[in-house]
Amino acid sequence: MTLELRQAEYAPRGRTRLHATSLTISPASITAIVGRNGAGKSTLLALMAAEVRPTSGSVFIDGESADSLSAQSLAQRRALLTQDQAVSFSFTVRDVVSWGRHCWAGTSHAQHDDQIIDSTMNDQGVAHLSTRLVTELSGGERQRVHVARVRAQRAPVLLLDEADAALDLEGRHHLVSTVREEALSGTAVVMVSHDVHRMFTCADRMLVVDGGRVVMDSSPASIDRKELARVLGVPEL
Amino acid sequence: MRRALIVVALAAVLVLMVLIALRLGAAESSAVILREIRGPRIVMAVMIGAGLGLAGTVMQAITHNPLADPAIVGISGGAALGAAAVISLGVGFGGPVVAAAAVLVALLVAWAINALSRRDGRSEVVTLVLAGVAITAFAAALVSVLVSTNTSPAIRSLTFWTSGSLALSTWSGITAVAPFVLMGVIVVALISGSLDPLSLGDRGAQAAGVDVKRTRVGGLAAVVLLVAAGVSVVGMIAFVGLVIPHAVRAILGPQHRLLLLASAICGALVLLIADTVARVAVQPVEIPVGAITAIVGAPVFLVLLLRTRARQGGWA
Repeated sequence: MTLELRQAEYAPRGRTRLHATSLTISPASITAIVGRNGAGKSTLLALMAAEVRPTSGSVFIDGESADSLSAQSLAQRRALLTQDQAVSFSFTVRDVVSWGRHCWAGTSHAQHDDQIIDSTMNDQGVAHLSTRLVTELSGGERQRVHVARVRAQRAPVLLLDEADAALDLEGRHHLVSTVREEALSGTAVVMVSHDVHRMFTCADRMLVVDGGRVVMDSSPASIDRKELARVLGVPEL
Repeated sequence: MRRALIVVALAAVLVLMVLIALRLGAAESSAVILREIRGPRIVMAVMIGAGLGLAGTVMQAITHNPLADPAIVGISGGAALGAAAVISLGVGFGGPVVAAAAVLVALLVAWAINALSRRDGRSEVVTLVLAGVAITAFAAALVSVLVSTNTSPAIRSLTFWTSGSLALSTWSGITAVAPFVLMGVIVVALISGSLDPLSLGDRGAQAAGVDVKRTRVGGLAAVVLLVAAGVSVVGMIAFVGLVIPHAVRAILGPQHRLLLLASAICGALVLLIADTVARVAVQPVEIPVGAITAIVGAPVFLVLLLRTRARQGGWA
């Protein structure tokens, strides 16, 4: 099991943001988390990423309890792309991608850093931007750079929090092909997205969140679209 | 390679400036003057300046804020208060006890601003800066009370504490401050590897494997060690910690490994030049060195501010 939630609940100060949830995420798969704003998607993802500790229950990543892992060991096991993609100072594209290797510093894996950084930048189509300042890029280019950064982590779990939100159609298309490549190479990908139609075609599994609960959990093919439309608050899908 | 050469060149300029500063002065360059007056003053300027340059760089990195500076967030003000407080209790000026008191109060300030400016596991930049403004004003007010109610000359003047002066530098003052600065340098070396990815913001950096809490606590402690003990012997010197990292970043780029080294060298160089101007420009009187750093530093900072804002399209 790559990622497992066991009765994981998040209720800070008595306010339940996510009710006790148990689920497992398998390697080589794409899981989409969909739901309305405030439904609990980001909380679910934050639990999976071990950014927050469950107030009860537990989270296992790559077979280890997330509680016992340092920031560095966590990052070796799961990569997380957050929505905030600002970089404080004018670093180059290559600098930013190289931070994906930060969690491997001091380990034997670090000797492949340069090779991994270069090949990931190639895969993401940002190699030609290598020496450009990340602060001068367009939104779409910057997004690709950050995706390259989290891919360079080479973690078995890849979590994306609305990574497609600021992208145009081409960008979304590229992101989906990236995610497919990752899943093919064995990564367990989990992505929060509002682009339900695209998730129908790219995800293996959909987790529908509503009112702090996972209310539907099935493959896109067998999901009840009428019910999903109701949960998402639209007439039809 | 080119950037490494620039750092070497800066170091060479610093050595040259030390030699020039040794020869300049009101009195003849006798052996006694060099050994007991100019020598310690130059060493002090180099040490304090290097500490300010390093501290400013670390402060800006851990707060994700290009406007952060040890003086702005209140750390220097706290240090001045700690030093003035123990001096008012009868401890002599310039010793290790005064330096330690400055470090202790500054640590308290650092802890307080960190606690005040953090919410839901994030650091609020505006709260940090505004809390610093309040703490600095509060500390300066208490220092002025201590100075005005104390008749001992050891407590110095309010101008000394708020504008800074290297005129009272002695070898014993240097030995009191140096261990703290050295500890600060060691802490900076320990966290320096995490400062680049910290530019992703607290959340992004943590996700990338940076122990953000350890880095921030270590960084704040380093800033206090680098700055506070120095304040206890030379007062508050503004703008060096703020401007130096910007200037160096504009030339060398933001990678911290080189930036930290170059900021230390440039901080030393700038404070040494400023202090040399302070003592030889209008002989026989002296200009407060903090006034010179502010006269030069404030306009430079404004230019840097406008240029950076234009490039980044605002501060966000």
